[in-house]
Amino acid sequence: MKEEKDKLSRRDFIRSGIRGACLLGLGGVLGLFYNRARASDLVWQIDPYKCIQCGRCADNCVLEISAVKCVHNFNMCGYCRLCTGYFNPQPNALNTGAENQLCPLGAINRTFIEDPYYEYTIDESLCIGCGKCVKGCYSFGNGSLFLQVRHDRCLNCNDCSIARACPANAFKRVPYSQPYVFKEQKG
Amino acid sequence: MKLSKTNLFIGIIITVAIVAAVAIILRTAMTTDRKTTIGNVFIYDIKEFSKTDPGLIKYKETGKIKTGFQNPFAIAIDSGDRIYVAGDKSIRILDAQGRILSNIKLIESPQCLNIADDGSIYVGMKEHLEVYNSRGTRTAKWESLGQNAVITAIAVSGNDVFVADASGKIILRYDKSGKLKTNIGKRNPDKGITGFIVPSPYFDAAITSDGLLWAVNPGLHKIEAYTYDGDLQASWGETSIEIKGFSGCCNPVNIAILPDGKFVTCEKGIPRVKIYSSNGNFESVVAGAESFANTVGIYNPSAGAEDSTKALDVAVNSKGHIFVLDPVEKTIRVFWLTNRRT
Amino acid sequence: MKRIVLLIIILLILPGAAFGVQRFPPPEFETGHELPVTTVPNPRSEFLEYLDVVMLLVTLSLASYLALKKRSRRGLFFLGIFSLLYFGFWRKGCVCPIGAIQNMSLALFDKSYIPPITVIVFFVIPLAFTLFFGRTFCASVCPLGAIQDILLIRPLKVPSWVDNSLGVLAYLYFGAGVLFAATGSAFIICQYDPFVSFFRRSGSVSIIVIGICFLIIGMFVGRPYCRYLCPYSILLRLTSKGSKWHVSIAPGECINCRLCEDSCPFGAIRKPTQVQKDRKEGKKALTAMILLLPVLIALGALGGVSAGTPLSHVNSRVRLAERVWMEDTGKVTDTTEPSDAFRGTARPKDELYAEVVRINGKFAVGGGVFGGFVGLVIGSKLIQFSLRRRRVEYEADRSSCLSCGRCFAYCPVKKDSAIADA
Repeated sequence: MKEEKDKLSRRDFIRSGIRGACLLGLGGVLGLFYNRARASDLVWQIDPYKCIQCGRCADNCVLEISAVKCVHNFNMCGYCRLCTGYFNPQPNALNTGAENQLCPLGAINRTFIEDPYYEYTIDESLCIGCGKCVKGCYSFGNGSLFLQVRHDRCLNCNDCSIARACPANAFKRVPYSQPYVFKEQKG
Repeated sequence: MKLSKTNLFIGIIITVAIVAAVAIILRTAMTTDRKTTIGNVFIYDIKEFSKTDPGLIKYKETGKIKTGFQNPFAIAIDSGDRIYVAGDKSIRILDAQGRILSNIKLIESPQCLNIADDGSIYVGMKEHLEVYNSRGTRTAKWESLGQNAVITAIAVSGNDVFVADASGKIILRYDKSGKLKTNIGKRNPDKGITGFIVPSPYFDAAITSDGLLWAVNPGLHKIEAYTYDGDLQASWGETSIEIKGFSGCCNPVNIAILPDGKFVTCEKGIPRVKIYSSNGNFESVVAGAESFANTVGIYNPSAGAEDSTKALDVAVNSKGHIFVLDPVEKTIRVFWLTNRRT
Repeated sequence: MKRIVLLIIILLILPGAAFGVQRFPPPEFETGHELPVTTVPNPRSEFLEYLDVVMLLVTLSLASYLALKKRSRRGLFFLGIFSLLYFGFWRKGCVCPIGAIQNMSLALFDKSYIPPITVIVFFVIPLAFTLFFGRTFCASVCPLGAIQDILLIRPLKVPSWVDNSLGVLAYLYFGAGVLFAATGSAFIICQYDPFVSFFRRSGSVSIIVIGICFLIIGMFVGRPYCRYLCPYSILLRLTSKGSKWHVSIAPGECINCRLCEDSCPFGAIRKPTQVQKDRKEGKKALTAMILLLPVLIALGALGGVSAGTPLSHVNSRVRLAERVWMEDTGKVTDTTEPSDAFRGTARPKDELYAEVVRINGKFAVGGGVFGGFVGLVIGSKLIQFSLRRRRVEYEADRSSCLSCGRCFAYCPVKKDSAIADA
C-alpha cells in the first residue's frame, strides 16, 4: 500500500512539475509579446503598385464571389471619352454597347458629365475582381482603377488564399484602422 | 472485431475515404504557381498589340548614353547639336558622343526645357519658368503660373516663348522678358478650337520652320498647328490601336520635328517612337515596343509608383539623328536612319 | 505672438503642400460637377473580436464545469452544438487556437509581424484551462472537434498499434506547421483545415472533398482529426498531463466492475495493470530504449537538415529566386508571371538572392530541429512502451482523454464528493 502511495505521490510530483513548467512557458509567451502585441486586428489588403492584374483575385478567394473588387480613385481619373479601362482596344463605337466594353460583366457605368468628359463608376454587385479594366487603365491610361479587398465582404482568413496565390506578392496585412491602400497614399 | 458484413462495408468506406483524402492533399501540396484558372475572357492580353512589323522599322539604334540621373525628365538639343538632359535637380550638357560638357545645378526639379538660338536655356519647373545662360548662371525667374500649374513643354522661337500648362490645358505665349502676351488653344467653338484635352501630365509642343506652333492634343490623339496668335491652321492624327494611329488615353506624349519637317512622336502605354510626314501621314517606326521592354505600360504592369509617371522624351539634331530619353533605363538612346535601298 | 501665428500657418499649409505637389489634378468641370468619393467599407467591428474572447472564456468555463463537476454528457453535447454554431458556422472557424500556433511561430521569428492581442489570447487561454481542468477545450469548445463528435454514429475500436503510430502524425503536422510558419512560407494548418469549407459554406472542390472524406471517416472512427492530426493537441496533451484536476471515470473510488471498458470511442481508457512478470526483461528493454533515444534524435536532426532544402521550396521567394536564376542562365526560355512581376519591381536580384540564402539557412536549422523533434517523439513513444505503469483502477489517459463524458453513464458508482483529485 505504501508503495502505491509513494508511486502516487511521485506521479503527483511529476505532474506538478509539468504543470509548473507549462505555466512558466505560457507566462514566458505572454511576457515575450507584452510589448509586441497590437491592440487592433490585422486585415488583408492589396498593394496596387505591386499588382500585375493577373486575374487570380477572382478565382482564388474562398468566397464564391471574390471579396476583391475594382475601385476607382476619382481624383486620378482623366474622365476621357475613350476610357482605356472601359473600352476594348478596337471599339466599334464609343458607346455603352456590350461589345465595346472590356469588362466581361459590364460592371462599369459610363455617364456623361459635360463635353468631353465622362464619369466611370464601378458596380460592385457585378464586379468579380478579374482586373481586366485595371490592366487597360494602367497600361494605356492614368491608372486610376485598381483592385482592392473590400472589407464588407472579406472574411479575413488567417491564411488568405489569394495572398498565397498572388505571383507578385502584392498582399499584405494592414492595421484594422487603415484597411485600404489606395494609390497615391504616400508612405 | 468481427469480420461481419457491416464491418467489412465500413472498412471499405473508410479505406476509400482515407485514400481519397490523402490523394487530394498530396495533389494540392504538389501544385504551386498554377496559371490562373479564370478563363480567357477575363484576361486582357495586350502583348499582341505591341508587336511591330519589322518592315516598318527604318532606324537602327547606334548607341546608348548614360544620363547618370536617378530621375531623368527631359531632353533637348540646341542648334549646335549639344544635348541637354534635365533630371534630378540639374541639367547636363553633353556632346554628340555623350561626353559631359557642363553641369548646371538647379534648386528645384526641372520638368522640361528648351534652348534659344542665343544659347539661353529656358527651364520649366513645375509651375514656373527659369532662364539660364550658356555658362549656367540663372538670369531670370519668371512668375508662377499658379499653384496648380503643371508645365510640361517649352518652345522658343525668336522673341516668343511658348509654355504648355497641362493642368490648365492651355499654351501661354510670353516674350523673352517674361511678359505674358496671349494664350493659345482655349476652347473657342466660333474659331473651331475644341480646346486641349489633357488627362495626364503629358502635353508637348514644338515649332516648325514655317512659323507654326504644333501642339499635341493628347486626349483627341491629334497634333494641331496654331499661328502665334492662336488661330488653328491644321491638324492631323487618328485614334487607332494599329501602328498608324495613337492608342490609349493620351498620346503622343512627346514630339520633335526633323530638319525636313517630319514629325517624330513618342507614345506611352505601347511605348514606341514613330515618324509621320509633314502632312501627318504615318511613315515609319524608329523603335517599336520591343525596344522598350523595360518601359512602363505593356511589359511591366507592376512598375512602381514613381515609374508610372514616366514616359519617353525625344529630341532631334541637325543631322536628323534621333535621341530618345528612356526614363526607366535612365539612358539616351541614339537612332540613325538605316541607309538601305528598298 | 507673431511667431506662433506664423508657425500655425506653416503647420496648416504643410500637409496641403505635401498633398498637392505630386498629383495631376482632375479636370475642372464647367457645370460644377462634384467628384464622387471612393467608398471605404469598414471591416468587422473590433468590439466583436473581443466578444469572441469572452465567448471563449464562457464556453471553456462551462465545459470544464460540465465535465468535472456536473459530469453531464448531455450538457457537454449541447454545449458542443452551441460551439459548433458560434465558433464554427457563425465565426467561420477563424481565428482558432489551432491556427494561432502559426501566428505565434511567425511572430517569434519575424520581427515585422506583430500579432493582434486576440490571437495571442486565443492561443493561451485554452492551454491555461487545460493546465487546470484537462482537455475540456476538446470536449465542447473546439468546433472541429464538435463537428466530428456529433457525426460519430458507430465508433470502431482502433488497434492500439495503429492508434500509436498514427498519433505520431500529429507531431509531424505540428512541427511542419511551426517550421513553415516561422519561415514565413505558408500557414499549412489553415490551408489543410478539413472542415473550414463547411464553416464558410464555400471553398474549392479539393477542400470540400477532403472535408467530406474526414466526416465519413469520422462517422466510424472517433474524431480522426483530433486524435491523429490536430497540431494543437500536441500542446494540449502536454498541458493535460500536468493538469491539476481531470475528468475521472468514476466519481469516487473505482470498483473495477469493467463496465466502462469499451465505452470510450477514442481509446482513452486505461485498464488496471497486472502484476509484473519479467522485471529484468523489462529493465533491459527500457535501458535499450533510453540509449536509443539520443541516436534517434541525432538521426532525425541529420535527416531534417538535409530535408531543409527541398522543404524550403514551399516558400514562394525561394521558388521565385530559383526561377529568376534559371531564366537568367538560360536554362529555361520563357518567363512566368512571378518572375515578370519581380523584374518589373526593379528590385536588385542580389537582394532577393541574399534573402533566399537567409531563408534556406532558417530551413536548414529549422529542419534539423524538426527532425530532432520527430526523433525525440518516436524515441519517447518507444520508452513509453517499455515503461511499466502500475494502475489499480480504470482511469482516463490524461493526454488522450477528450473529456467528452461518454463514459460517465457506464459507471455505476454514485457521486459522493466533488472533483476527483489527481
